[in-house]
Amino acid sequence: MSNEQPLKVLVVDDEIHIVQVVAIKFRNNGFDVITCENGAQALQLASDEKPNIIITDVQMPVMTGIELVQNLRSNPDTAELPVILLTARGFEIEDRQKAELNISAYVSKPFSPRELLQSAEEVLKESVAV
Amino acid sequence: MRYYRYIFATLFPLIALGVILAVVSACTDVGPAVAVTGMLLAITALVCLAVFCVRFMTCANQLVDMLKNEKLGHIKMKRASGLGPLAEAIVNFATAHTERADRLESARSDMSLQLQLLKKEKQNIEEIIFSIRDGVIVTDAFDRLILANNAAQKLFIFDAAAVGTRTIGEFISHTEFVKLITHSRRSGLRHVKHELTFDTDGRTRIFDCIISCVRDEQDVTSGVVAVLHDITREREISRMKNEFVSHVSHELKTPLASINAYAEMLVDGEAQDEDTLDRFCLIIQDQAQRLNRLIEDILNVSRIESGLTKVKKETLSIAILIRDAVMMIDSYAQEKNITVNVQTPVICDQVYADRDMITQVITNLLSNAVKYTPSGGAVDVGIEVNDAEQVVRVTVSDTGVGIPPDDLKHVFDKFYRVEANKACAKGTGLGLNLVKQIVEKVHAGRVFVSSIPREGTTFGFDMPLATGPALEKVLEK
Repeated sequence: MSNEQPLKVLVVDDEIHIVQVVAIKFRNNGFDVITCENGAQALQLASDEKPNIIITDVQMPVMTGIELVQNLRSNPDTAELPVILLTARGFEIEDRQKAELNISAYVSKPFSPRELLQSAEEVLKESVAV
Repeated sequence: MRYYRYIFATLFPLIALGVILAVVSACTDVGPAVAVTGMLLAITALVCLAVFCVRFMTCANQLVDMLKNEKLGHIKMKRASGLGPLAEAIVNFATAHTERADRLESARSDMSLQLQLLKKEKQNIEEIIFSIRDGVIVTDAFDRLILANNAAQKLFIFDAAAVGTRTIGEFISHTEFVKLITHSRRSGLRHVKHELTFDTDGRTRIFDCIISCVRDEQDVTSGVVAVLHDITREREISRMKNEFVSHVSHELKTPLASINAYAEMLVDGEAQDEDTLDRFCLIIQDQAQRLNRLIEDILNVSRIESGLTKVKKETLSIAILIRDAVMMIDSYAQEKNITVNVQTPVICDQVYADRDMITQVITNLLSNAVKYTPSGGAVDVGIEVNDAEQVVRVTVSDTGVGIPPDDLKHVFDKFYRVEANKACAKGTGLGLNLVKQIVEKVHAGRVFVSSIPREGTTFGFDMPLATGPALEKVLEK
């Protein structure tokens, strides 16, 4: 991975400590990390920075994680972008909505950065394979 | 009667014999003696007959009078007077009739009493049914109304006295309910529970409708009873509880997630230098404290509500508490580029209060103001003393998103969150409720709020000064 362009991950959460811990974990493992604190900023960054994967919280001010994914899916450029939902309220998302949003993985808070990294790597492998 | 028959049977031939003798003696020469004898015989017999007739009539009249006056005892005494068998027959008949009449009268009295009791019982049951707050409707085997209490009439908007013999479908517009009654009657079901919604006065109300068929002695459905219980409030409380659990769960999990993640980072050796290691440890400590504060908030509301909180009151200056609270919130405000202005003139602002609690009140109001104010905005904290009312007033005004008018009266409710502002910031809906509980329940003060949407909000509270009658009121409390 060191000779290749590092994979870019966009981390979205209004909790600064969560953003930081995820960013450190991914940077330490060779990722290029960009961060923001709400869905609206993430939408802009997804378009400008073309990340390989987005890790986002669900409940956020201005634009929620669900609204962010809906917007991503409606844009052909980002429609297939892998998204991992990082949430304390995963149980509230209906199966139907999950299928519609095409979420790659769900990680519930409190979460393990180690497992989140593994999950992101698996999703990225699958997306490359596809 | 046989006795009278013999008398008549004897007297009539005697009269006839006397008349014949008189006529024969007049037509022949048998001599005056025979004629006189015949005439005497006839006259004597006639006199006897008249006497007996008079006596018979007298007895008969007496009997009639006695029957009219219902003097059966007298009739019995008169039996020997000549009309014995007749009187006896009449007495027997009359006695039997009287006894039967007595029995009928007794039965009638019993039935009348039972009818009165039933009427009273029916009245009591109707009063009970009419007094209950749940709607009750009773229909017959043809879906016609038998009874509807006031709650049911109000709910379905009809006047029971005016419906006559119409079926309920003709005056109740709630088609689902009408169908349920008809279906239940046909199927003969008992104690079946349904949920019905009603849109009244611009709001939706939810009712539990329990329908049960009434069966007669032949086990045939003779009607249907429906009881409608308003569960709108229960549903609202349940919804608020679920929302609260969801919010609290999220709020608890957020610091817990940080603690868990940073601890794992330490274990995995992700802190690659001393500074990072320190920062991770500080974050863990900070998030643990945040978790503790949140749990304390929940417990405080619960303790104050249940009256179990320990209050340590002392005389203290509100201005100093405000200054301390502003210092605590300052880094958060700077992070959001919000200016906090404090105007605390030198005044006598001593209150008799619990230091920690009032600090929490001011901190909650300040953090809310910063939380709901966009970057670049301002928060003004003011304090003034009203000498006339012997209270000190603290106000916290912001240039934030504001609160819609309909939400203003609810903002101090437990777990209430302004729907329009939910996206702006996270919260449990406990902070303002805690402010109200501390100010009003513990310190006999008063909270208030005013707001203009998209311009800003002012929260504040009045506290009795630590002198004069206001203090006495606090001390009494």
